[in-house]
Order: sequence, then structure tokens, then C-alpha cells
Amino acid sequence: MKLADLTKPWEALSYGFLDASAKREMRRKMLKSIAVPGCQMPYASREVPMARGWGTGGLQVSLTLVNPRTRVKVIDQGADDSVNAASIRRFIARVAGTPTTMDTLEAGLIQSRHRVPEEILRDDQVLVLQVPNPEPLRSVQPNMSIARQMHADADYGRMWLQLYEQIVRSGRVMQGASYPSLVHGRHVMTPSPIPRWDVPKQHMARHLTILSAGREKRIFAVPPFTRVEPLVFSDVPYKVEDHGDLTCTRSGTRGYFMNEIPQNDGTSAYEVSDSEWGVKTIRAAEDGGETRGETWYKDGKMS
Amino acid sequence: MLAAPEPSPDPSLSETDANQTFDALIWALSRPGIPRGLPAAGEARIIRALLDRECRAYSADPLILPEIMRTGAQIAEIDAADHVFLGALQDLAPLDRIALGSDLYPDDGATVVLRGQIGQGPGLRLSGPGIESTLTVQIGGLPSGFWQKRRALIRYPMGFEIFILDGAAVIGIPRSTDIEVL
Repeated sequence: MKLADLTKPWEALSYGFLDASAKREMRRKMLKSIAVPGCQMPYASREVPMARGWGTGGLQVSLTLVNPRTRVKVIDQGADDSVNAASIRRFIARVAGTPTTMDTLEAGLIQSRHRVPEEILRDDQVLVLQVPNPEPLRSVQPNMSIARQMHADADYGRMWLQLYEQIVRSGRVMQGASYPSLVHGRHVMTPSPIPRWDVPKQHMARHLTILSAGREKRIFAVPPFTRVEPLVFSDVPYKVEDHGDLTCTRSGTRGYFMNEIPQNDGTSAYEVSDSEWGVKTIRAAEDGGETRGETWYKDGKMS
Repeated sequence: MLAAPEPSPDPSLSETDANQTFDALIWALSRPGIPRGLPAAGEARIIRALLDRECRAYSADPLILPEIMRTGAQIAEIDAADHVFLGALQDLAPLDRIALGSDLYPDDGATVVLRGQIGQGPGLRLSGPGIESTLTVQIGGLPSGFWQKRRALIRYPMGFEIFILDGAAVIGIPRSTDIEVL
């Protein structure tokens, strides 16, 4: 062993901001989280130049995975142009020299907050979801040591009880986002605060999904072709939001997840949440060039 | 005011290597049974991409040891190791001692790297996460009874991950994969 073997050339800043040991830890934990789908793995969660809770977990995963050929897309609630998404995209491009895109079909790596894109992801794409609260049991068990034991025992009775109470009190399941889902028939996970609309997209998908909570220091994953089943009672079917009949006021696209925009007269206008889908729809109407890919939902129904 | 250091958009050689190696590993583990190419043959790249001073590693192959020691990883007995390099496995005895983690912390289960021949030997039918329905592969060069032993040891979510190296090709077998020997 020579001294030269143990050193490396000086760099002003590590490629991709994270230092090599941080990346190695992320790599080890990502492998384990893929091996046990839906199981929360603790990790160190290093400092990144962004406040915890703003996507630091997802950012660390992205920074570990990228190389100068990875085309990066970042979305926040479906939009590529919101402040948080634009800042993260620019940061990754700056520290890792990656090309960026807004087109879902062009992207190699998609970091997302609260949405899964409408176009079907391929097996060469990775979806990184930012997770604020990775523990689905927190609402029924605030003590995380006990919650961990419940995961170990697959003791999810209280999750069912919570859903039952919602149905009894309100007549329907009140869980709007982060709908608890059983992964590979073993671990209940939160799919991150994606709407109910997006949960079926995770089931037997072709792409790898990595979910990372930077503030809570936990990472979990849904490998391709993995069962992701929202918890439901056999006589109360799983329902996605009633957006199948809504039309986007800006692009005219219909049958996708919409943002509701309250109007002065008390009514609501809707615009498609996946902003790039809306842009592509407008472009297709203007010049007839079709750039839209296949979508998970067709005519407002999951296919 | 000090100027912020300019980021380096060009990765160093070691960074590129580690990134490509990990890309192959994560792809292989996400899609069990489908071989993926590492940037170079052998365990060295995997060791450099994954191991550092926070790891405990065991190697049955003394030729790999210098590479492990260079990372600063602690050399440990097989039952205490989180990364186990078995080389060309001769008998099943080492498998009994591999760390499986616990139901509370499944991530304490080991990552096992060994050598085999992809496309030769007994046929295996794989199913589980990462596989659409089932997948049939041939993996040779492992002692007989290896897959039965693995099945007997793993109590999901406790278990260990296997990477099988054949030259520069790698196959990943996570603990979630069901394997039927044909």
C-alpha cells in the first residue's frame, strides 16, 4: 500500500456536493431498502444547503445517483416551475453538471414532491419522492420505537381501525394524501403525500421508486413490479379523487389530476396538476406535433 | 467575502467508477436475475463503491483483503460482517453464519458477494419484487443445495442480499426473491 493510494487529488468541492463517504452510506441503504420493499431504513441524512423538510432526503438520493449523463427533472406538486422545484433542479445541475429537462419522457431521474407524473415511467427511469413523514403509523402510535416493533410484527390492526373510524364518522375514508399502502404484502408504507390518484401508479410499475425523508432520516423504496396495495376493506373499494371528468381551463386536457383554483364567485376552475402535460397538450393543439407519451389514466380511468 | 468554491461538474475517475458500479448494482438488485455489466470484472469496484470505515467486512478470498483494507473497513468474522465476500464458494458452511438482521432492523442483514457462472448450471425460477411474473435463469458454480439453504435461512424481512459475479456481469438476488430450483 502506497501513500498515493490513500489520497486523492484535491477538489474544491466533491462532485455532486455530497462527499464520497456520504454517497457510500446512501448506496448501502438504497440497496437494503430495495431488498425489503416499503421498510423504512435509517440513514445519516447529511447536511445539504437547503432546510430540512424542503426535499433534502430526495436531494441526497438524487445527488448520489446522478452522473453527467443523467437527465434530471424536478417537480413540486406536479409543476416544474415552482420555486422549490426550480431551485433543486438548478442546484443539481450546478453541482453535478447534469442536463435538465421538464419532459417526463426525456428524464432519467425524476425528483418529485407530492406527485407522480401522468405519463407512464419506463424501466430506465428512477422516481425519487420527497417524504415529510415516513411513518404511516405515527397517527396511531406516536412512539417510534413501538411503531418499529409494530412494523416488525406486521401489526397493522390500528391502521385498519383508523380507516374504519373514518368511514363510520364521515361515511368515507378521509385520507386525502399519503394513503397507507401495503408493499409486497408485508410492510405498510406511506407513499409520500401523493394524492390517492397516484397510488395505483406505484402498483407493479416498471420504474424504481425511492422515497427518502431527510428530516426524519429514513429511506425506503418500491422496486419495479412490486405489489403496492392501498389498505381497503373488501366492501369499501379504494376511490381516487373524482377528477376523471374535469377539464383543464388552460390546456383543455381532460381526465387527469387537477388543481382546484377557487374563483371570486364561489365556483372553482381547474388546471392540470402535471404542468408539463398541460404544456404538451397546448403545444399539440397549436402545431399538431404529438409529444405526449402513454399515460396511466386513460379517459379518467386507471388502465 | 470569500468566494464560494466552484463546484466541479466533472466527476473524478473514482467517482465515475463508483457511480457506474452502483448503477449496475441498484439496477441488478431492482430486477433480480437479469445480468448487468459492471465497469470492470471482480469485487474491487463493488468494494470501493460501498465500503468505508463504517463497515465490517469478511472475505473468504485473501486476494480481496488488501482492497477491503484500503477502504478502512474493519475486517470481521463472518457473523459480525455487514459485507461478506465469499469468492468462489466451495461448501455451504459459511452461509449459516451470515448476519440476517432482525425484524426490527432488517437492514442489518448482510450483503453477500460471490462468484458464479451466469447461464450455466441448474435452472432457477425467480419470482417476487422486480420480476413481472417469473423469470428463469441459470446460475452455476455454486455448491449444490445452495438455494435450498438460502431459502431455509431467510425469514423475510430478515435475510441477506446476494450479488453473483461472473466476470464483469452481476446478478442481484435480494432477500425478497422466491427461488425455485428446477
